[in-house]
Amino acid sequence: MNVRISRSVGVVAVLYFTANFSAQTSKAKDTLAKENKIDEVVVIGYGTQKKSNVTGAIASIKASDIENIPSGKPEQVLQGRAAGVSVVTNSGQPGAAATVRVRGITSFGAGSNSPLWVVDGIVVDNIGWLNQSDIESIEVLKDGASSAIYGVSAAKGVILVTTKKGKKGKLTLSYNGFYGFSNASKKLDLLDATQYAKIINEGFVNDGQAPRFTNPESFGKGTNWQDAIFGTGEKSSHEVSITGGNEKSTYYTSFGYFDQSGIVLSDISYYKRINARFNSTHKVTDYLTIGQTFAYTHVKSQGISANEEFGGPLASAVNLDPTTPVVVTDWSMVDPGGYTNPYIIRDSEGRPYGISRYVNNEMTNPQAFRHIQQGNNNWSDDFVGNVFAELKFLDHFTFKTSLNGKKSYWGSRTFTPKYYLSPNFNNTNFNSLNKVEENKFEWSMENTLTYQNKFGDHNINIMVGQGVYRYNIAGGTSLTYSNLPIDNWQDASFNFDTSPDNIIAKGWDGIETRKASYFGRIIYDYADKYLFTGTIRRDGSSKFATNQHWGTFPSMSLGWNVHKENFWPENKVVNNLKVRGGYGVLGNDEMDNFRYASFMVSGSNYTNSSNNIIIGYAPSTLENPNLKWEQTSQLNIAADLKLFNNFTLTADWYKKKTTDILRQINIPGYVGVPNLPWSNVGDMENTGIELELGYKKNWQDFSISVNGNFATIKNKVLRLEDDIEYFNLASFQTMGAVSRVAVGQPYGSFYGQTYSGVFQNQAQIDNYVNANGVKLLPDAKPGDFMWQDNNGDGKIDDNDKVNLGSSIPKYTFGLTVNMSYKNFDLMMFAQGQAGNKIFQGLRRLDLPDANYQTRILDRWTGEGSTNDNPRLTRLDSNHNYSWMSNYYLQKGDYVRLKIVQLGYTIPQDVTKRFGMSKVRLYITGENLVTFTKYTGYDPEIAGRNNSEQDIIGVDRAYYPQARTFLIGANIQF
Amino acid sequence: MTNKMKNKNLIYKGLAVAFLTGLSFTNIGCSNSYLDEVQNSGAFSTDSYFKNEQQSFSALISVYDVLRKYSAGFENTVTFFNAGSDDFYSGGGSSSDGAGIQGMNNYMINPNTMPASYWKDYYQGIARANLVIEKVPGASMNEDLKKRYIAEARVLRSLYYFELVRMFGNIPLILKSITVSDDYWNIPQAKPGDVYAQIENDVIAAIPDLMMTPASSDKGRITQGTARAILGKIYLYDKKMPEAAAQFAQVNGTPGGTSQYGYKLVADYADLFKVALESDPEPNKYKFLSESILEIMHTNKGSSDWGFWGQGKDEGNSINVMVGPRSYSLKSVPNNDAPDIYSGWAFNTVTENYVSFMQGDPRLNVTVFNAKKLVAEGKVIYGPAFADTGYFLNKYLPTNALKTSLPGPAELNFRQNYIAIRLADTYLMEAEALGASGARAQALLDAVRTRVGLPSVPVSLQAIKDERRRELAGEGHRWFDLVRWGDAPSKLAFKGFKANKNEILPIPFNELPNTALKQNPGY
Repeated sequence: MNVRISRSVGVVAVLYFTANFSAQTSKAKDTLAKENKIDEVVVIGYGTQKKSNVTGAIASIKASDIENIPSGKPEQVLQGRAAGVSVVTNSGQPGAAATVRVRGITSFGAGSNSPLWVVDGIVVDNIGWLNQSDIESIEVLKDGASSAIYGVSAAKGVILVTTKKGKKGKLTLSYNGFYGFSNASKKLDLLDATQYAKIINEGFVNDGQAPRFTNPESFGKGTNWQDAIFGTGEKSSHEVSITGGNEKSTYYTSFGYFDQSGIVLSDISYYKRINARFNSTHKVTDYLTIGQTFAYTHVKSQGISANEEFGGPLASAVNLDPTTPVVVTDWSMVDPGGYTNPYIIRDSEGRPYGISRYVNNEMTNPQAFRHIQQGNNNWSDDFVGNVFAELKFLDHFTFKTSLNGKKSYWGSRTFTPKYYLSPNFNNTNFNSLNKVEENKFEWSMENTLTYQNKFGDHNINIMVGQGVYRYNIAGGTSLTYSNLPIDNWQDASFNFDTSPDNIIAKGWDGIETRKASYFGRIIYDYADKYLFTGTIRRDGSSKFATNQHWGTFPSMSLGWNVHKENFWPENKVVNNLKVRGGYGVLGNDEMDNFRYASFMVSGSNYTNSSNNIIIGYAPSTLENPNLKWEQTSQLNIAADLKLFNNFTLTADWYKKKTTDILRQINIPGYVGVPNLPWSNVGDMENTGIELELGYKKNWQDFSISVNGNFATIKNKVLRLEDDIEYFNLASFQTMGAVSRVAVGQPYGSFYGQTYSGVFQNQAQIDNYVNANGVKLLPDAKPGDFMWQDNNGDGKIDDNDKVNLGSSIPKYTFGLTVNMSYKNFDLMMFAQGQAGNKIFQGLRRLDLPDANYQTRILDRWTGEGSTNDNPRLTRLDSNHNYSWMSNYYLQKGDYVRLKIVQLGYTIPQDVTKRFGMSKVRLYITGENLVTFTKYTGYDPEIAGRNNSEQDIIGVDRAYYPQARTFLIGANIQF
Repeated sequence: MTNKMKNKNLIYKGLAVAFLTGLSFTNIGCSNSYLDEVQNSGAFSTDSYFKNEQQSFSALISVYDVLRKYSAGFENTVTFFNAGSDDFYSGGGSSSDGAGIQGMNNYMINPNTMPASYWKDYYQGIARANLVIEKVPGASMNEDLKKRYIAEARVLRSLYYFELVRMFGNIPLILKSITVSDDYWNIPQAKPGDVYAQIENDVIAAIPDLMMTPASSDKGRITQGTARAILGKIYLYDKKMPEAAAQFAQVNGTPGGTSQYGYKLVADYADLFKVALESDPEPNKYKFLSESILEIMHTNKGSSDWGFWGQGKDEGNSINVMVGPRSYSLKSVPNNDAPDIYSGWAFNTVTENYVSFMQGDPRLNVTVFNAKKLVAEGKVIYGPAFADTGYFLNKYLPTNALKTSLPGPAELNFRQNYIAIRLADTYLMEAEALGASGARAQALLDAVRTRVGLPSVPVSLQAIKDERRRELAGEGHRWFDLVRWGDAPSKLAFKGFKANKNEILPIPFNELPNTALKQNPGY
């Protein structure tokens, strides 16, 4: 196949400005050169290190940075806080997680590209259960050298979360809470009923048929479906935490309640969460310390399709015709024949909800849809905890053992009544009640032995460790009872006696993954000047065949605190300078189990003539006994500077290469297996630059700190299996593939046809010939796109698709400004990205009667009317609307003012009288304004579900983020 | 520190060390065996499968599973090839509803729009048959049963190759199961003649080992009669007329009578396409009638769902939902005797040409549902969709009463069986193989016509062609008949059929890269 590879280099710059706002109520003067801050300590894998001695690329975020961000989802607080860490909210739906990427997309094969989350040393499979207020610090291990200590699954980066443990001191009780309202910040420009009728008529006329609507004006404005789905959401949170301790013990306990309802159909789009945590440490004797952490989270939520073109209220609101009323009040405007079914949904006054005559399939009246979703919910319970013991002996040795575990239960309950929403979307047979219950248990045990000593100016720290891990000890059941003798969800119950024919029960067992590891590390520094860290880890995974279980992952990093040298002149420009560099090799084993051997699986069933289904067994795939670890190696070179006493600057350059990417490969269909086999194929590379610039200055009453991050990423696919040039990635409805993973291009680049304008008259069509004089588009009509023959082969077909742009942003940036004046404090956080394209797929191509955005009013109506938009046509024989092209792509650049928070701390002498040591009141605005040219709901578009997390930039009716106003209080007793 | 305290300290220290060492040794060892212990629950290793009769039978069932390709899933061969014929249009929601079936309708079908499942699913059936043929000999079970299972797998494999070769023409011929160490990228396409020779010999060798008459629960399996009918059809398409006639003679017996395998034409033509209600005392009374030779069984017991629609677990008939009119509903007028048809997706709308061809034929109303007339009489309304003619394929049209009473979407759980080969079809095929002349050919043609009360006509190739069109419309045979007779370029010119190109389908685009396969000419 001939695919012309155009070398367009995507450079993603991630610009994050993090402003560290330290609320200082003290009025310390003269904080210049005399300021002798306690040297910050940074959490590294299996230990801590002085920040000045760190040789890896580690971003450190403290509790004070994130305490007051009212996000509700812990990973969202990372957005814009660290260069190289990109966080994209999966949707504006309450409870929606975020897609976190550390230094780009590492692999396009096995598993997800999410980094490894480690909470208090416990490796966890997801982070949704964590209460953000319990976080003491977050460290992101960005480069190979710092994350290699985690070997397996560290290839995508590691995020270490440390929860609050309590401090020695008196018992402190704190309360944090906020409450507010949300609304949609943007609605689309859709046609009203009169415009719609005229446009539809034109489509018929252009195809040589009679127009459908005899009197478009009679519809007036019609229905604004967006008004029927968008409403006001609420968001509130209440947190109480108690911390205290003495010389022997410290403890921290917290309770929280969080409640958010969505801006779209808020009674079926909500998220409620209860958190509880108890952490403590005890010094039993001088040399023995034991401790534990324990957290419990309960979530109840319900959601609607958040980024899906095949149904759901958002897609319905965009596609339904405005000539259909929300509720039928005027029977002369509708066809009574469409409302004869006994199961149509009626409102509280008995009037039926409107059913569209023209737009059906999965599109339904959102208000009617709401009725059939009532009472359904998802729930989860998570228990996460660990116990550890630490023994110090012989002065320099420390032995630590820890036992970690996470047990999760989750499921859903759904009642489907009998309903009729449209001829294609109805359930008039029988009702059904379904519940799904799943559980998962994961545990691990790790032992480390550390030796720390100081010989003159030489400091050395050696650690060796060992660990065993068992993941995915899981299972679940799904149970459905049908034909219940009730008709609403409140009465639905599994206590009704039901005949066996009406019961479907299914179960499943998870397949366990086991890992075993040995690891070691040496940290050495000479006089805090010359720094060295070396680590090595050996991991075994049960995912591979016996002879391929083990992989070894080494790393090394060096650093030089130049400013500590004798020859470094004392100057006022560059106060501190550290140069560092490191190299690490990490692994990845995330893929389906048992792909290295061939298995017969059930599911190829057939029914015999007595109407009994017989289970058939067939091989599921071709095995690959040589499957092995995927490897990522990363080189990082950086410098940390302190300038002019108040500025800090960190600059990193990195190059990350992933090889032997685990992927399912295409084999010929005649081999005859239903599932594709796995193989180590493919290489991908990410290179980038990260800059962090900070400024901090305190005067008497006023202090300010500003932080900005900027990072660029250049992603390039280097190799695919069997020397193929590309494979298709995102697809959209009947259009087929809209993006590809192509060798030499960034992952997920958009590929489509190009046009050089619109045919204005028949002569242009006749003159558009190839080298042999044959018309390239003989069936085109005036008003159709002039497709280009990009590969010059004389015909226009799939091989003419070219690279139309990248879905990965080239530049991402954020800026945080913190200011305080006397008792007032102000925080502003803005972030954005640029250099990417977004595919806007909001309108159903296979429904010719679906509504349009007002952009369609610019269509071609005659010679000279426009050269950018084609004519209206229902048959679309020239594929103006059904081929992928620039017509569907828009720039995704945006800058968004994400958080503005203004707070006031009531003077302490006032609050002390009431027994409170600190009372701070604040108001917050979230997503206040977004500057963008993108015409969809929201330019921050993630993948549409867990398996398509890296297929970004495709807007299928994305649930937009809301503009929220909150008021809150922090009270400390 | 006092001595007492020193001792206490020592004890504590000792205890602590012991506790911690003990704790760390409870760590399960980090060895290979620890990692190897993980089981793949719910599956069997292929190397150790085929131990006994139950496992061999389960593997044989997976070979039968692919028979669903005629009528299950959106990409089923019946509606696909109906759409390519002169009796039906593609229909559907719009001109882009189902790229493959639309491409068959207007002959714009190309490697990109050709649905890959027509290629892949049959090869999966072939691979499973190869595995059964290789592995069952090693199972410990009754020897005669072993031979029978292998024979059934052979015949099914031949049937699947037959479908592939008449669809794609130039296909690779794979007769053993492929392992990872084989050079499977370089398997070349075989000459169609070689494929035919192989499958003919396979069926001939298999026939003696098959059952003569099946037990009541085995009526869907390959029996000697079924195998001979399949063999006859293969010979017919391979233009080996005398051999075809010989096989059909065994199957058909005396025209109008009962053959040695128990086959007999049913008295009422309409019975072939009826479905009894689930609540009937005999809900399956119209299944496996005496005329049925190869019948594909469907049921609603599998509670098919969208997630596995068209795949191994799907046991419902998808033709039913595909051929119903869209948004069909009865009007509330007195004495409305119109049937309560289930609203479907409006595929395979009947051409006006076919309706006028069938005027006066007693089979017209069984084959064609005249929605146009009912609308004119004010009894029903429906939403005309793409290529609407007002006529729908009645043979597979479901009524609302036939909707499943078990869980699962109604669209995917219809119970009507599909008869792939029936006696009337083999009668006409034998008559054609006999050269459309002679007393026996005349008797065969007469028997088919007498069944519906039509008078005799002189036998000729044209008479047989016409009779096939009347008798078998909508059952997925017309397109293959036209191509076989060489009439496709003229009869299908109005749809855009191009001679020397569209007689075979394009090999799906994704099947070619890096293989030794060459695309079919013209695509």
